[in-house]
Amino acid sequence: MGCKCSTTKDILFFQGGFLVTHDVIIIGGGIAGMRSAIECAKAGLNTAIVSKVYPVRSHSVAAQGGINAALKSTDSWSAHMADTVKGSDFLADQDATEVLCKEAAFDITELEKMGAIWSRDENGNVAQRPFGGAGYPRTCYLADRTGHGIVHVLYEQIIKHGVFIYDEWHVVKLAVLDNAARGIIAVELKTGRLHRLRSKAIILATGGYGRVFKTTTNALTSTGDGMALALSAGANLMDMEFVQFHPTVLPRTGILITEGARGEGGYLLNSKGERFMEKYAPKAKELASRDVVSRAEQAEISEGRGVDGCVLLDVRHLGAEKINQRLSQIRELSINFAGIDPVEKPIPVRPGAHYSMGGVMAGIDGQTNITGLYAAGESACISVHGANRLGGNSLLEAVVFGRRAGQATEAFVKSTTLGDFPDGFLSEASFELAGILKREPSEPAYIIRNEMTVAMEEHAGLFRNKTGLEKGLEKIKELKERFKKAGLTDKADGFNSELLAFLELGNMLDVSETILLGALARNESRGAHSRTDFPQRDDVNWLRHTLIRNQSGELHLDYKNVVITKIKPAERKY
Amino acid sequence: MKIKLKIKRSAPLNESEPFFQAFSIDAYEGMTVLEALLKIADEDDPTLSFRKSCRSAICGSCAMTINGHARLACNTQILPEIHKFGEVILEPLSNHAVLKDLMVDLAPFWEKMERVMPYLTPPDAENTAKMTSEDEAKIDKSQQCIMCGSCNSECNALEIDEHYAGPAALAKAWRFIGDTREGFAEKRLDKLSTEHGMWDCVRCGHCTQYCPKNVAPLKAIELLRSRAIKLGITDNHGAKHALSMTNSIKRVGRLDEAAMTFKTLGFLRSLGMIPFGIKMELHGKMPLPLILPQIDGMDEVKAIFKTFEEKDKNKEDSGGKS
Ligand SMILES: Cc1cc2nc3c(=O)[nH]c(=O)nc-3n(C[C@H](O)[C@H](O)[C@H](O)COP(=O)(O)OP(=O)(O)OC[C@H]3O[C@@H](n4cnc5c(N)ncnc54)[C@H](O)[C@@H]3O)c2cc1C
Ligand code: SF4
Ligand code: SF4
Ligand code: FES
Repeated sequence: MGCKCSTTKDILFFQGGFLVTHDVIIIGGGIAGMRSAIECAKAGLNTAIVSKVYPVRSHSVAAQGGINAALKSTDSWSAHMADTVKGSDFLADQDATEVLCKEAAFDITELEKMGAIWSRDENGNVAQRPFGGAGYPRTCYLADRTGHGIVHVLYEQIIKHGVFIYDEWHVVKLAVLDNAARGIIAVELKTGRLHRLRSKAIILATGGYGRVFKTTTNALTSTGDGMALALSAGANLMDMEFVQFHPTVLPRTGILITEGARGEGGYLLNSKGERFMEKYAPKAKELASRDVVSRAEQAEISEGRGVDGCVLLDVRHLGAEKINQRLSQIRELSINFAGIDPVEKPIPVRPGAHYSMGGVMAGIDGQTNITGLYAAGESACISVHGANRLGGNSLLEAVVFGRRAGQATEAFVKSTTLGDFPDGFLSEASFELAGILKREPSEPAYIIRNEMTVAMEEHAGLFRNKTGLEKGLEKIKELKERFKKAGLTDKADGFNSELLAFLELGNMLDVSETILLGALARNESRGAHSRTDFPQRDDVNWLRHTLIRNQSGELHLDYKNVVITKIKPAERKY
Repeated sequence: MKIKLKIKRSAPLNESEPFFQAFSIDAYEGMTVLEALLKIADEDDPTLSFRKSCRSAICGSCAMTINGHARLACNTQILPEIHKFGEVILEPLSNHAVLKDLMVDLAPFWEKMERVMPYLTPPDAENTAKMTSEDEAKIDKSQQCIMCGSCNSECNALEIDEHYAGPAALAKAWRFIGDTREGFAEKRLDKLSTEHGMWDCVRCGHCTQYCPKNVAPLKAIELLRSRAIKLGITDNHGAKHALSMTNSIKRVGRLDEAAMTFKTLGFLRSLGMIPFGIKMELHGKMPLPLILPQIDGMDEVKAIFKTFEEKDKNKEDSGGKS
């Protein structure tokens, strides 16, 4: 809508849209996308962001609790790294984790220079709160609106640096030829036209896939589009089976209650009023890592000590003043979405799908196995989170690796010439869309979507086993067949939200399949991947990353060794 | 509970007349307007257009007119609306062109944002200045804006003048002007004091009343105005009007509207106001006689002024947290 591209005079409907060239196209206007855009624009590249929602509407804006960095003299990046590697159940690549933790302080300062606002301590320093799985209070925050604060400051900077914004444009295809990125094809919501954007490089920053699960904290837009697009363009996906379930989620809506609530001192209680985490993680208690807390909750609920399928998060002892000051959004959300004022009553919570540890395989500069295609943020898997992410590390990943992908792109763009963009990409995409629009639907897509989210929750949720995963895979295959015959009621060109939701469903089905395939093959329990039939971690056979590649329509599994530099795998206890 | 939801439907480019369509849905305890819309789009009418993303009142996508006023669909529950109004009527935001159904064209909204240069411009490019919690408190409210457009939708000044900067952009402007690290506050205030700027606000208070995030844009506008006057940026109609209003009250304890017109517009331009003055007189609204006597109790007025002047010194420190 606010697109600042060239005139739309000679648009050829569905047969051309327009063809615009940029140096770099960034797909996604969340924290990772905007952070990389700033770097590219500052370097003088002609930079464009394409996003299906206006940048400030991106899912990143919902992040609450904070962002990690070792800032104090009594803390250190190596301690941060040790916590992160342990949290990852030793699956994180240690070279990447080292970059993440070493550069964290730099990036916090960069944000501050841009104008970011933080909560402060008595001395005016950036305040830091304790977070799960961390041995030191190193989570910087802005009340419980950290994501909102960072998103808006980055948005301010992309305006300042004149980044082109194609908002409400939905990318439907990555144009890759001879294993090199050539540009993208996107549908403009307003007109329904297909446009070609040509570029030397693409940075993929499309966020996670939480929406494949029924109960999720993720925005309605987190449908794993980028991962599905990259997979079909020939990129490797990595560690897709690792899905983080957050322990404190409001039951019906899936709305998140930040870990900050426990970081500030909140308790988790069962129906008997016991702080049950004392039993599962005697030292860290409520602040053990998320996989541990979520499984403990599920165990309490399954063993009959839950309250209406939930456990209780109690922050009353913090007092109204602290709650209003540090957790005001949480109070607002609990009142509006659960009808409970946490000042007066404990909040019922349960685990819900929250974060995608896996994603498009990328190196420490965001490079993928496709030349000119970079990935950053939640849609990438650089593997800093391994089998389980620590709270506060993903905003950090988005800023650190967003910046690095931007920098790497600059070098790449300056040393490359623009590749050609054959018409075939467009005709293929328009043929596909025309097919969807034309066919008489055998059933509406939402039925397929609902069955998918239920099946994923049941078979690929907190606890998994071989039979369940096989059933899940069968179900997804069945849904994929049905999807081919499903279609649309809305046949209009412009503002066809049904079409976009349909395309998202296709992406989610693809992503679901990769999650199930990875999980079924991994015969061990590690981090967030918990197999009841293989309850132990198995470093001999499984200290390795899962890769998934699409070879002429077939998905292939492959594996890659974990990079271990400083920290030897050990038993994980909290 | 079965309830009826009435939605105003508009075709793209106004190809046909807008109309209201009723949908009957099963509303449950806690169901939000957004949940209802998603259900309708799934099960009843997939052609229904509306924006959504976070469904937790933080991304600003879903603002629309609900039972007469701008609200967020995702944090407005259906049943309390039914209890209060007997029905739920959904329309697009006002003061914006409708694109389709509940979607409005926000391009002017973003342009207004861009016009206030929405980014920090510290005096030294490195921005090494630090901030304290107290500094932060001054802009705390403004920086919580989610850019939903509700305030602009309810704004009386925008309704009259579509070029008016509007409350959202002005709240954003205060976020920088009130930031202790900002280097060009005065320049910014200069720019905001021109036509369509901060002096065009008619202080109806709607922006503050309907903002879902308690940003209180009117408060930000007041802070901008008083900062401008303090810095002597008074060579514009708005500031002159405000100053002459204050002087008039200080002098005679009431508004000397005839004299204010001279002071605000200058002698020659205010001649152009004479027909307006005659009209006002015809409506019995012209302040006569032209030389006003002091009201009784001028001492009290003076005392009030003194208190305000003292209070004013501390006012900005609270960042409008009144
Ligand atoms: C409720 C919640 C709270 C969280 N709190 C924290 C926290 O406190 N600390 C922390 O570290 N992490 C937190 N996280 C995780 C963190 O917010 C995310 O991992 C991170 O924001 C992801 O950023 P991103 O830029 O990668 O993607 P996103 O912000 O998801 O952005 C994705 C972008 O891609 C665009 N896009 C997607 N598909 C397409 C397409 N097909 N065409 C065009 N554009 C497309 C979208 O429009 C969007 O702009 C939280 C997550 C949730 C759900
Ligand atoms: S107070 Fe001013 S800015 Fe706010 S709605 Fe009224 S006229 Fe508009
Ligand atoms: S000031 Fe309030 S109403 Fe206006 S755009 Fe911001 S959040 Fe919305
Ligand atoms: S959907 Fe984000 S504010 Fe309502």
